[in-house]
Amino acid sequence: MKRLNLSYEKKKGLYGYGFIALWFVGALMFFIIPLLQSFYYSFHTVTPETGYLDIRPLTSGGKTDIFLNYKDAFLKDPNFSQYLVEVLKDMALNLPVIVVFSLFVAIVINQKFRGRTFARAVFFLPVIIATGPVYAIITGDLETGGNNEAAQFSTMFEADMVDQLLEFIGIYGFGDTFTEMLTEITSDILNLVWKCGIQIIIFLSALQGIPASAKEAAAIEGATSWEFFWKITLPYISSMILVNIVYTVIDAFIDPTNQVMERLLSVQSEWKYGYSAAMAWSYFGIILIALGIIFAIMNKLVWYDD
Amino acid sequence: MADTTMTNKGGLSGFLQKHKPEKAPKEPKMSRKERRERFKKRLECLTPEEQRYLKRKQVTDAVWPVFRAVIVFGLCFIILYPLIFMISSAFRPSADMNDPTIMWIPKHYTLSNLKEVIKAMDFWKTLGNTLVLNIGCSIIQVLTCALTGYGFARYKFKGKSILFFVVIMMILVPPQIILIPQYMFFRYFNPLGLWHMITGDFINLINKPVTMYFPALTANGLRAGLFIFLFRQSFMGLPKELEDAAALDGCSPFTAFVRVMVPNAGSTFLTVFLFSIVWYWNDYYVSTSFFTENKTIALTLKNLSSNIKVLVFGDANAQVNTREIIVWMEAACLISILPILVLYVCLQKNFTEGIARSGLTGM
Repeated sequence: MKRLNLSYEKKKGLYGYGFIALWFVGALMFFIIPLLQSFYYSFHTVTPETGYLDIRPLTSGGKTDIFLNYKDAFLKDPNFSQYLVEVLKDMALNLPVIVVFSLFVAIVINQKFRGRTFARAVFFLPVIIATGPVYAIITGDLETGGNNEAAQFSTMFEADMVDQLLEFIGIYGFGDTFTEMLTEITSDILNLVWKCGIQIIIFLSALQGIPASAKEAAAIEGATSWEFFWKITLPYISSMILVNIVYTVIDAFIDPTNQVMERLLSVQSEWKYGYSAAMAWSYFGIILIALGIIFAIMNKLVWYDD
Repeated sequence: MADTTMTNKGGLSGFLQKHKPEKAPKEPKMSRKERRERFKKRLECLTPEEQRYLKRKQVTDAVWPVFRAVIVFGLCFIILYPLIFMISSAFRPSADMNDPTIMWIPKHYTLSNLKEVIKAMDFWKTLGNTLVLNIGCSIIQVLTCALTGYGFARYKFKGKSILFFVVIMMILVPPQIILIPQYMFFRYFNPLGLWHMITGDFINLINKPVTMYFPALTANGLRAGLFIFLFRQSFMGLPKELEDAAALDGCSPFTAFVRVMVPNAGSTFLTVFLFSIVWYWNDYYVSTSFFTENKTIALTLKNLSSNIKVLVFGDANAQVNTREIIVWMEAACLISILPILVLYVCLQKNFTEGIARSGLTGM
């Protein structure tokens, strides 16, 4: 048998192909080809028939118009662009809140106090549950089978949160307006806390990576904790802020309960595959652009410790 | 008196015990006023800036712990509220839900909710199904993702950056977008295009367990992109000398991977395995599309309310007040998350530390 005459580098490269071969086969079958197919669908009308998908070029008024699906989605669809704007608006509003809040919580539970381990375990708990149907039942998103009181599932634990908390620790009969105001805040906080698990953990590990020498120097110079936060903590964790922002955006974007996703799935269930593919791809494109902008801005602000 | 007891203790410790430095005489207990005065005297020796700093520190040191305790307790309560509610309502009879005097602690306890839910969900069989599928898929997926991550971490080859971009895309693209092509792939499965040519028919893989195992086997299961990424990061963090030493000792790259790299990345393996279990456990999206026949916990929980109505009220379309059916739903939630919760409580450190260490901090 003739041995191939390859350099060491090339041989190593071949091993690299060997290691990723299995994944590549899978990615081709389950990811790349389906992705390209859906891209192809987005320029056609696609209707399912038994045994195959009926794919035809798009026509409007006798002329072929391959961008018809995209035009329909943005110009004709009553809800799509509105939902799109809303999702982007929500993202823009929630993003700073989530990042600041998780940073705050991370700083708090990074300090030494009794019950710290317990607190950390609790803050990460939503990650375990929040992806599943249990969370859907808790928040009342899941349809409850023709029952029009489904909202009660969600209100049941948002409505009287503050009262409950106060009564739980033994305070009864608080002022109504005060509790009402607090109630609104807490129901937001609930959603917030349930979305922040991973971000808190990422910040926590970043905080623990701040070198002791920097802390010492700051303490000797007599920095207040306020100064310490702005001059020491923030620069050291700035790269993790970027990571968290990207994570939060992606998380919100692929959340199947957001409005665009819901609209997309309902179109899909009407068998309009080409149309839904066009929606999905335009949504995807917009998110990629948003991520690109965030990256471009943040990359200038991030400080790297070299 | 002290000497006689100490003499039988020899050596250094005995010596030290004997020649203890005399204790400084205890300061007489100062009253509050005296202490405050002494603090003032000390302050007078310092510059005004130092004084201000110390005073401020005194105040924050006193106030902050209280503030912190309130915040941490409040937030923990908010997170745990659904769980507390779950436990509290799972064991009470449905009628107690309408009793306004009952907030947390029910007047009557009952296990009938749990029993009925277990029956409606066919719980033990469902649990068995879920466990087999979960653990099987997770083990396969962890192994294949580790291989792929290692390939990306350590080898240089043509097209690597493009292929890694595909991995990133796997994280970014929501599964809903590629659902239909995937469905068609499984519904009209056609190995190498030959099967249809020979038999004139397709293989229908929908509702077969292979729709779950096959993607896992090729490192394309649930959230595989993220797992590959985590493995790549953690393998990149290991020193290169490990493989060089193994190669010098005559290991092939694959043996080096199995015998040197895998043991060194043990914690990442555990983390990825745990997350894989959790996500397979919680998934109902993929299973509702490809594998509806298989009863998993998530799936039965999703369809529970009609099943409960059949079992308890005798009619799937019964108009039942949400408040009355809540106890069953909460009981079902409780038994569904219990296994995951136990896993989390036992291995909590591996969940959090794994995320913190193995991946993102090395970016």
